[in-house]
Amino acid sequence: MKRSPLALVVVAFVVALMLYFGYHQARRNASTTPRITQSTIAPDFSLESLDGKTTHLSDFRGKAVLLNFWATWCGPCKIEMPWFVDLQNQYRAQGFQIVGVAMDDGSKEDIAKFAKDMGVNYPILIGKDSVGDAYGGVPALPQSFLITRDGKIVDKIIGLRGKAEIEDSIKKALNTRPAASQASASEKSSVAQ
Amino acid sequence: MMIDRKNRQQQKLRGDASLSVLLAFVLLAASLSSAQTLGKAPTLEVAAIPLVTAQRAQATMVNLNFRVPPGYHINSNAPKSEFLIATALKMDLPTDIILGKIEYPAGEDRSFPFSPDEKLSVYSGDFTIAVAVHPLHSVVPGKYGMRGVLRYQACDNAACYPPKNLPVNFEVKVVKEPPAAGNHRNPAQSPNVH
Repeated sequence: MKRSPLALVVVAFVVALMLYFGYHQARRNASTTPRITQSTIAPDFSLESLDGKTTHLSDFRGKAVLLNFWATWCGPCKIEMPWFVDLQNQYRAQGFQIVGVAMDDGSKEDIAKFAKDMGVNYPILIGKDSVGDAYGGVPALPQSFLITRDGKIVDKIIGLRGKAEIEDSIKKALNTRPAASQASASEKSSVAQ
Repeated sequence: MMIDRKNRQQQKLRGDASLSVLLAFVLLAASLSSAQTLGKAPTLEVAAIPLVTAQRAQATMVNLNFRVPPGYHINSNAPKSEFLIATALKMDLPTDIILGKIEYPAGEDRSFPFSPDEKLSVYSGDFTIAVAVHPLHSVVPGKYGMRGVLRYQACDNAACYPPKNLPVNFEVKVVKEPPAAGNHRNPAQSPNVH
């Protein structure tokens, strides 16, 4: 079948444009942000909480953590918060902890008022750009990282997703046993054999 | 008979070409939309502002035209929640050029997948902010640079991006006001006429 040469030229041009655009976008992303992937150890940090305590991520070692970057000006973040309140209640007994990091420029009082209005039942920390940078830049909010009991990132959620999807990620973080427990479990199973 | 077949072939080729061009544009659109989902903060554009001529001692309105990239929105100047960041223009004008009223367009009330039960007041696509520039009588005629920033905070349907400042600069040519009507001096008269 014969094709118009003009059409082929246009298609080739557009494909070349897409490749150029995609390549540069990928390069820019790779060069400006640290690569946070699954099974990366979650970078530890030290941030002040709304009640003035210094909190480290490592304080929650042994628990599965959902680390949620949010801001008071972020509409989608506001939708997630009541889900987080429910999920915190539902999975607390299994060793699950949500930690919110507010990336606002505004005052601590505004953040506290917002969190109180939303009925937040988990710690809220006052974010810093350096912490966001350590987690890949956090260019869009909300952004959550699911961290296992031994501090590994098993999932990253950018933007608003469904509650069920977040819950699946929580289950994934909860079911991932710490390396030490896995070793001892495998030892036990090999002894049993 | 031959001519008919040739015509049909040509029509088919034209159809193929149109289809290919359409496909190419669909692919390009898909590529651009996937780039948008990479989490890169959108940047507003401000249209070039032609030189504004402003008469001394009166206000001149200047229209500033902005464009929000497709797929994004920003809060209007009067968002419906105290926590949302309003779009706001701040200008820094030379001495004796006074900033008059800033007229923001009314926001469009829209609900989004992240807030289906709540309407937000937003700008999307093209919008215009008008600003009044008022050179005082003391300003020496000439060209003056106006410097400002538009602060805005953008979101798409699933995520929001940190607030940004867009520089908004333009030049104003200040000219003398025309002589006021009824202010013409009468020719000098001798006090000794009578």
